[in-house]
This record gives sequence, C-alpha cells and structure tokens, in this order.
Amino acid sequence: MKDKSQVKIFKLAEDLVNFGKNQGADEIEVSILDGYEFSVDVRFGKIENLVEAGSRALGMRVIKDKRTAFSSSSDLSRNTLEHLVKNAIKRAALASPDEFSGLPSPSSRHTDIPSLSLFDPTISKLSSKKKNALAIETERIALDDKRITNSHGASFETKEIKTVFANSNGFLQEYDQTVCGLSLGLQAGDTDNRVEDYWFSMKRHYKELESPEEVAKKAVERTIRQINPKKIKTQKVPVIFEPMMTSWLMGFLFSCVSGISIYQKTSFLVDKLGEKIGNNSVDVIDDGLLPGMLGSRPFDAEGVPCKKTPVIEDGILKNYLCNTYAARKLKLKSTGNSAGTGVNPNNFYLKAGDIPPDRIISSLDRGLILIRTIGHGLNPVTGDISRGAFGLWVEKGEIAYPVSEITISGNLGEILNNIEVIGNDLDFQSPISGPTIRIQELTVAGK
Amino acid sequence: MKKTSPLKFENHFPLSQEDLLKILNLSLSQGGDFSEIFLEYKTYNFINMEEDIIKETAESISLGLGIRVLSGEKTGYGYTNDISLEKVRKAALTAASIASTPGDRNASSLTPSSFPHNYYPVRESLHKAPLENKISLVQECYLSAQNLDPKIKKVKVSFIDLTQHVRIVNSEGLDISDVRPLVKLVCLAIAEKTSKREAGYSGGGGRVGLEYFTQSLSPEKIGQDAAHEALELLEAEWPPAGEMPVILAPGHSGVLIHEAVGHLLEADFNRKKTSIFWNKMGKKVADSQVSIYDDPTIPHFRGSYNIDDEGILPKKVLLIHQGKLTGLLQDRLSARLMKKSCTGHGRRQDYTNIPIPRMSNTYVDKGEYTPEEIIKSVKKGFYAHKYQGGQVEDSGKFTFSVSSGYLIEDGKLTSPVKQATLIGTNIDILNKIEMIGSDLQFGLQTGTCGKEGQSMPVNDGCPTLKITRMTVGGQS
Repeated sequence: MKDKSQVKIFKLAEDLVNFGKNQGADEIEVSILDGYEFSVDVRFGKIENLVEAGSRALGMRVIKDKRTAFSSSSDLSRNTLEHLVKNAIKRAALASPDEFSGLPSPSSRHTDIPSLSLFDPTISKLSSKKKNALAIETERIALDDKRITNSHGASFETKEIKTVFANSNGFLQEYDQTVCGLSLGLQAGDTDNRVEDYWFSMKRHYKELESPEEVAKKAVERTIRQINPKKIKTQKVPVIFEPMMTSWLMGFLFSCVSGISIYQKTSFLVDKLGEKIGNNSVDVIDDGLLPGMLGSRPFDAEGVPCKKTPVIEDGILKNYLCNTYAARKLKLKSTGNSAGTGVNPNNFYLKAGDIPPDRIISSLDRGLILIRTIGHGLNPVTGDISRGAFGLWVEKGEIAYPVSEITISGNLGEILNNIEVIGNDLDFQSPISGPTIRIQELTVAGK
Repeated sequence: MKKTSPLKFENHFPLSQEDLLKILNLSLSQGGDFSEIFLEYKTYNFINMEEDIIKETAESISLGLGIRVLSGEKTGYGYTNDISLEKVRKAALTAASIASTPGDRNASSLTPSSFPHNYYPVRESLHKAPLENKISLVQECYLSAQNLDPKIKKVKVSFIDLTQHVRIVNSEGLDISDVRPLVKLVCLAIAEKTSKREAGYSGGGGRVGLEYFTQSLSPEKIGQDAAHEALELLEAEWPPAGEMPVILAPGHSGVLIHEAVGHLLEADFNRKKTSIFWNKMGKKVADSQVSIYDDPTIPHFRGSYNIDDEGILPKKVLLIHQGKLTGLLQDRLSARLMKKSCTGHGRRQDYTNIPIPRMSNTYVDKGEYTPEEIIKSVKKGFYAHKYQGGQVEDSGKFTFSVSSGYLIEDGKLTSPVKQATLIGTNIDILNKIEMIGSDLQFGLQTGTCGKEGQSMPVNDGCPTLKITRMTVGGQS
C-alpha cells in the first residue's frame, strides 16, 4: 500500500506542524486520512450501483494563547493548507482563552500497532468479480425462499484507510486499517402487510466475514418472523433485548458516560462516579486494544494511546470516557476516546454472562422479545427512553406471535438496575455491543 | 498585479470545457448511455459558544468531483478530491466500467446555461461577513437564553454558515452552475430544579443573509424560545399511554408528514415496489381534506434550490390531492426507468455520493378549521407540540419522538407533557385525519434528513391536524 504519494502525506503532516509553529501557533496538530472505498449494490441479481474512489481529508487544530481554532480540508494543495493554517491562527484570537484547552501532554505509553491486527492485505486483492459475486450470491440465496416478496438489495463494501497524525509535541505516527461488510435487506408479505428487516456482517478481516449463506439465512429469518404481527394492550412486562438491541442500549449509555455530556451536565450520570448505578452483574468496558475488532485503534483523534477502561464494574460507575479537554474539565485523565471536539467509543460493550440466549427465552413465562426499535426518543439528561418498537410475544417460554405498533418506554438508570439475566452471546458485531439481556419490567404501549 | 485568492471556485478546477467534454466521452467509452460530472467546492464556518465563552471556531473546505455513468438500470460512480487530470481520468474509467459494451458514443458539446430565478436572494452574505459579526449573533442568542431565568443552568449556541458552489456538466450538453448559501443558528438550554434537569431547543436560518437575523428571527428570540421550552419541561408530566385522539401542532408536526408520507413518495422506493404506495397512484390514500406538496422553490427555505444536483430545474409537486395519490418525487434515473418526467428532486450530500430522489420543503396544505375549533373538539387526548425526530419504514410504519406536548382535557390544553412517542402506519393515519386547520406553518429552519447515509437540508410544515385515534407511548 506504500507508494510515493503516501510518503508524501506523512511529510505533509510534519511540514504543516512546522509551518504552524513558524507562523506563531503555540501548539498545532494535523491529521490526514487517506482512504479508498469500494461498494457494490445488487438488486434482483443485477448490479445497481458500483462506487470506487480514493479520497483524502485533513484536519487541524491550532492553539495560541489558550485560544483554539479548527480547520479541515479535502483540498490538500500546499497553498490552500498554508492559507488555512494562517487563517486559523488569526481566528484563534477571536475565540475566548480557555485554561482547559491544548494538546495532550506526551504519553509514555505506546501501542504496538501490528498486535492490533487492524489491516487485512487480502482485501485489496479481491477481484471486482469476486466482490460483485458475494453480493449477488447473498441475495440469490435469500430470494430462493418463497416467503420473501421483495428485496432492498445486497451490498458488499470495503474500505482501506491510512491515518497519519502529527503534533507539535513531537508525535508523528501512522497506521493502516481495513473494513469489509456484507449486508442484505428484505421484505416479506404483500404490499399492504409488509414486514422488513436486514442483516449484515462487518469485519476488519475478510476471512472472518460471515458467508453469503449465513447473511442470507439471518436476514430471511429476521424478516419472516415478523409476518402477521398483532397489536397488544398497554402493559408492563419483562423484556428480552436481542444483542443488536443491547448494542442500541449501550450506545445510549455511551452518550451518558461521555466526559463531554458530564461536564456539560447533559447526562443523568453527572456526579455519580463511584456510585452504584446498576446491579452487581453489570460490567461495561471500553477497550481500544482488542485485536482485530472494529472499535480498536492504536491512538485516538488527538494522539492519546488507547487502552482498556472499566466503565461500570459490579454495577459501580468507575470511569467517564474522556478526551483531553473533558478530562481536564473534570480533573480526570483522558481515556483515549477523543474524536476531535467530541468523544468516540473504542470497543464499548456489556460483558457477557453465561446463559445461552435460548434459555433466557425458555425461562420467560410471559413477556416481549425486543427485536427492533425505530425513531429517536432518548433523553440523556434524564435517561428516559421512549421508542417505537417491534417484538416477538413470548408465552410460557415459547415465541407465540410477532408484535408491531408498540412503543417501549423506561429509564436507562432503572434498566441498569433491572437487568436480571445476561446472555453468553456477545459478538462484537459493531464497536458498541452487548449480549442478550432480560429486563425485569418495561412499559410496552399498544392498543 | 491583481492577486487572486486561493479559495475561488474556478481556481480549484483547472479543467477547461474541452477537458470536461473529453472526460465525459471517456466515461462513455464502455458503452454507458449517460455520463455526468458533478464539481463541488464547499466552504463553511462554525462557531461554538458554551460555558460563557466562545470555545472554538472552525473553517472547512471540501473540494472534489464525482463522475457518474448510467447504463440501463445500472450506475457507475467514481470520485476524487485530487483534481489532477490523471486522477479525474481514473474516476471516469471507474464509472465507465459499469457498462460492458465498448462503443464510440460521444457526448454532446457543452452549452453553458442559466436560469431566470434565484430562490435565495441574499442582501448581506453571511459567508463574507467578518467572523466578529457572527460571534456577536451567537453571544446575543446565548445571553438571552441564559438571562431569562435563574433556573437556566447551561446554554450552548452554535452557528454555521455554508456556501456550496456546484457545476454540473453532462453528456447531453448541459453545463449549469449554482451557488447555495445555508445558515443555521441553534440554541440548547438546560433548566434545573431540585434534581430535575430538562433541555429545550430552538433555532433558525435557511438560505438567508445577515438581514434574516434582524428582520425575520432575532438571535434573542431563538435563545428565549429554547429557555422557555426547558423551563416548561421542568413542570411536564409523563404522557398517557394507549390509543387516543391526537392533535398535531402546526409547523413542527410537518416532520411527521415528511417521514410518514414524503419518503415513501420518493420515486426510487416506488420503482422498486418497496413502498406501500407503489401500486396506489390515482387511488385514495388519505382523507379527502388532505393535500400534500413538496416545493423546492420557496424563497429562502432550507430545502430550496435553484437547480437540483443533476442540474435540473426543480418543480413544485402535488403529492396528494384531496386524498388521492397524484405525484412522486423523481430524479433522472427513476424518471427515465418509470417513463415519467423528472421533477428536479435528485439531490446528493456532496461529490462523494450518487444523487437520489429527495424531498425539499414538504407540507400539508391548509384546511378550513380554526385551531381553537380543533382543540375544542377533543374531550381527552394528546397534543404533540415539538419533536426530536422520526423514522419510517417502507411498509409505512412510523415512529415519532415528541419532546414536548400537552394533555387535552375537555377541549383545552392543560398539563405540559414530555417525551412521548407516536406510532402508526401511514395510510391508516392519513385516513384518520379528521380536521385540518387554516393555520399552515413551517418548522424551524434547522432540519436535516438522512437517507442511505446522505444528509440533506430540508424543511417541512403543516397546519393544526386532528387524528381521530393514534397510539401514544408513555410511561404511565
């Protein structure tokens, strides 16, 4: 992957940092992404869209007299970039001085990049024919099932990204990563009684990707199980979250433990560090160093090495996830979660328990399996949740019928205390993940 | 010697008309039947104020071009932000490869064209205004929210102005350009009272100039509205849960129409027969009082444009006329495959994306009832005022998150209510629209719509609407 132009962007990052210092910036950081993407969308056996492109983007932060300015550009000509640096130094003077601003201090930790296994060289060697065939095959297998009445299509995509990062504290590093994904969306039922769902597999390494058979099978199964839904009465019942739903819940938790929402007081978990916020079985972890996982990276968006951070341990809130700025505001240390001005999860997950998911269902006398939610309805300030939902109704440990046109509502704080059972099926399907769980009780609104 | 700024549109694309024509021809070399180059140069400024300080400013430049080739139902796409002839040719060949019968089809010679209208006449460009002036707008908004009440504990204001230059050339000889301004000032206010904490939100903008903030909507008003909402939510109750009559407030409730109806009338979902509407053209899908439009030509609106992202002049489309389905939002590809005329609704987020059918400004036309009459007609129900967002599936099932509303008791709005969810199926709800108000209004000019990973600025509106029955989700 290394050619002359890539040596050039490494040099460009370094040169811009030096240019900024010479122009009078106290501190400056520069990051450059050099990416290549491929995607093919297939529907009813034919290619609909084929996209292939390389592109670059540069971001920078300039600090002068404790005042900050940001710039970004997809035009990487020296003229434009030097103009942006000069302009940023001028603009910084118009911001307010902020004692918490500034680059992270140099770290003594250092991530061994190859051990993270972020790059798969076989991805760039896949032929166009092979890539198209993966999508075509996935959809074909699904369409063989006569209960499937329409297709949103199948897609295969790959990405290769080089990240170069330099700052005026002497940091200068780069790393390469790859991602590939196979997905399929389906509909079942006639036009006026449609149900739909999808499945995808996304991995850093091609050999770990689910096969067309697996993706097709799951997409079909997830779609047809929703045919002929019933409405149910408004009631409070135990609710089982499938792994994708637990991931969704963890995504909401992430926004509530983000150091930014804590110092901005937009989270219900403000001032709760060291307190019990969930029951004993709840362990939530952010780990940027899991080999080969989607959320792994050697360092964050401001060059702080990533690490493993316990967020909730035995139900006790242990850490907020911070970039350098939020950490300084909260008198804490950066956890290597910077995404520029915001924070990003690395691999943020609810630790698996030891109960198989089918046993969680068979031990439920009466309740709902939550399979999808739609809409917004999350309020981090209060932890309140209210979402449109689709589910499967369970009677005496067995799935009785699908349910639609319901909403679920509750509160994240209460849910963390009411997680009764945690499954053993954690799969790291996305950077934010979790296994099947059962919640003691949630309000399900229907008729 | 006159010194040109390095940040001008033309200077970034060192490609003559002749070069462009050559690239269009190269794109057709594998037998494609249409090729197009979308050139884009976009700049924006951003200001963020919180914790009483101007925390940071940002400036961003996005430059690139995308080359698209159509071959029957297939689309090939390549893009680059390295505008060297070598990289542009590579993108052209990538796009060309979608077709597989090499021929010697040639693009028509390019004829620069213009249009007579301008839907965003701006007196004082915000993009050109000094940063100091924009910072003042942000500070005025911030202080008005903060000073409204001691219970307001936290305020966050951000401002963004964007200028997008586009030029579209295609193998049919089209060569057309547009410059689109877009401005947004938003305020988030957080109120606190005895361990309760609630957030209020307001904002404004559109394709406007600095004069908007003195003539149409002042920064003070935006700040006050956000603070008022936060304060009111401190007193709010949980909504009732179950099926009940629901009244949708004018303006903000347009998002419901956008999600539940608009998306499913985008031509691609109908061409692919995934939309519940695909087989219902000309048929009754709503109560006969209901007429719904999508209009990209409303001056200064966030969703408006002089030309769409395929270079086509946009048209106002009557989607539903007195309850009957009458129109779809067409882009070039769907119009051609469905043998319909294009309505100028092909939009794309930027040069890295393929244009797809999108909404612009979508609204329900006004009816004959006064809002008072409508509220008076409900004995016990729910009034949905503002929304956090919504989502719809192709099957027509939708969900909306209501951030603030009221209980309706004996024909009056009573207690404020927070965090409710509305769910339903679109055709069912369209037929349950029982009364339509005479008070057509539009939402805040801050909305962004997502589809297939592409975000687009949109706006939507509606008058007061009464739905006979709808499922409300809450916690009681």
